[in-house]
Amino acid sequence: MTAALKVSADLRLRVALSAPDSLRRQALSKVLNDAGHIVVDMEDSADVVLADGDCDPSEKRPTVKLGDRDWVASGSLPRNASVDQIDAALRAVAVGLIVRSPVAKETGFIPLDESDSPELLTPREIDVLGAIMDGLTNKLIARQLDISLHTVKFHVESVFRKLGVRTRAEAVAKALESIQFKVIKF
Amino acid sequence: MVDRANNLAQFSSALIERSAAANSAIAAIRLSENRHITGTLWRPDVVITSEQSLPERDEFELVIASGSTIKAKPAGRDPGTNITVLKLEQPSAAGTVVSAGGQVGALAIAFGADANGHATARLGVVNAVGPEWYSSHGGRIERKVLLDIDLARSEEGGPVFDAAGGFLGMSTFAPRRQVLVIPAATLERVVPVLLKQGRIAYGWLGVALRPVAVPEALAKTAGQSSGLMVMSLTEGGPAVDAGIVAGDIILSVDGASTRRFRNITARLGADSIGRKIDLQLIRGGAVTSRQVTITERPSS
Repeated sequence: MTAALKVSADLRLRVALSAPDSLRRQALSKVLNDAGHIVVDMEDSADVVLADGDCDPSEKRPTVKLGDRDWVASGSLPRNASVDQIDAALRAVAVGLIVRSPVAKETGFIPLDESDSPELLTPREIDVLGAIMDGLTNKLIARQLDISLHTVKFHVESVFRKLGVRTRAEAVAKALESIQFKVIKF
Repeated sequence: MVDRANNLAQFSSALIERSAAANSAIAAIRLSENRHITGTLWRPDVVITSEQSLPERDEFELVIASGSTIKAKPAGRDPGTNITVLKLEQPSAAGTVVSAGGQVGALAIAFGADANGHATARLGVVNAVGPEWYSSHGGRIERKVLLDIDLARSEEGGPVFDAAGGFLGMSTFAPRRQVLVIPAATLERVVPVLLKQGRIAYGWLGVALRPVAVPEALAKTAGQSSGLMVMSLTEGGPAVDAGIVAGDIILSVDGASTRRFRNITARLGADSIGRKIDLQLIRGGAVTSRQVTITERPSS
């Protein structure tokens, strides 16, 4: 049972990741890998589940849910939780604790977000950001998207400027926290 | 000379009187041994409360001021307007209320229930009002009414009155624990539908969209600098049937720019089901349009 696990900063967890949106999935995978965890599919055996948005209510494993409030999940964080909060929450629920965010920015009855922002990325820039999250170098991004290295550099620069970041790691963290990558269903 | 001390005493007496009367307008909804939220008696056999704070359960125990405990079953929930309706097993003695609108600066008294079903009171003013707005769940709220009042968690869902005793609506928490009123006009529209149908129907397109910047080369043709890119489509949904594909950038809905989500949400109310709407979009570097027939949003 999970209670046998010990809380430790170097604990490697098997994390089953449920993230329907590909960009969020890429970002969360990167964050989990960087924190030393192993990302597995929902069907695989795992210590904890990280669910971005809706999760299966019959899920029995300790679960950290990002987004809307949840009465069932052992961990409930706002959708724009920081990288450190996500890591800490996963480690806590893995040893049987319950995690709730006191400052939960998204709790309360909230108005519709508005999309209008000068910082929006173009579809191409989103492709490039996704490739950055996959850990690809500029050269590999150029090959994957079938564009020149020069064009890749141009897009990367534009992504960094729009997100207000200077490194690839910052870009990933920012993308997770930013409201502009929210997918709205109609 | 005006007797100021006496004015103050009169003011206080009036508040005491109101608070006593509020006992017949509220109920404590038990969530656990030591936790509850407040319900507002809508009719002798109907209590309304805040949807976001009520767990999903088949039955609740309500405590009213007389001390009696009444069982109640959820009759309908609408996350869109944050309203849940509970049907009581036996009617209680609810007072009658007259709705009021509320103006900035007007006195507002928000009542909650303590664990024994007795009224708790909070006094403040209407902090801000605004026109109709849409919640993140797509519900339309007739007016924006914010209070400068702090509420305990257990007091959410109670009634808010003005100085004349007019019913402004039901209290709920907005982000950062700001207290918001779900106005009487919204309650009057939504509660009867929830009692009858258990839910509020919303229009649906079956698309997941993400805001994107329109690539510079296309911004001029598109006439706008941002749009909503189709990330995924629900199989068998209206958008798929209309030939929308992933990667399309939707610019407008019936001529209204998608720069504002509310322009879409506003067109997906219950009355939209079965109607056609025109989507203007960018596909393959050109602006084109498609017509989608709105269907009802599936419940899950």
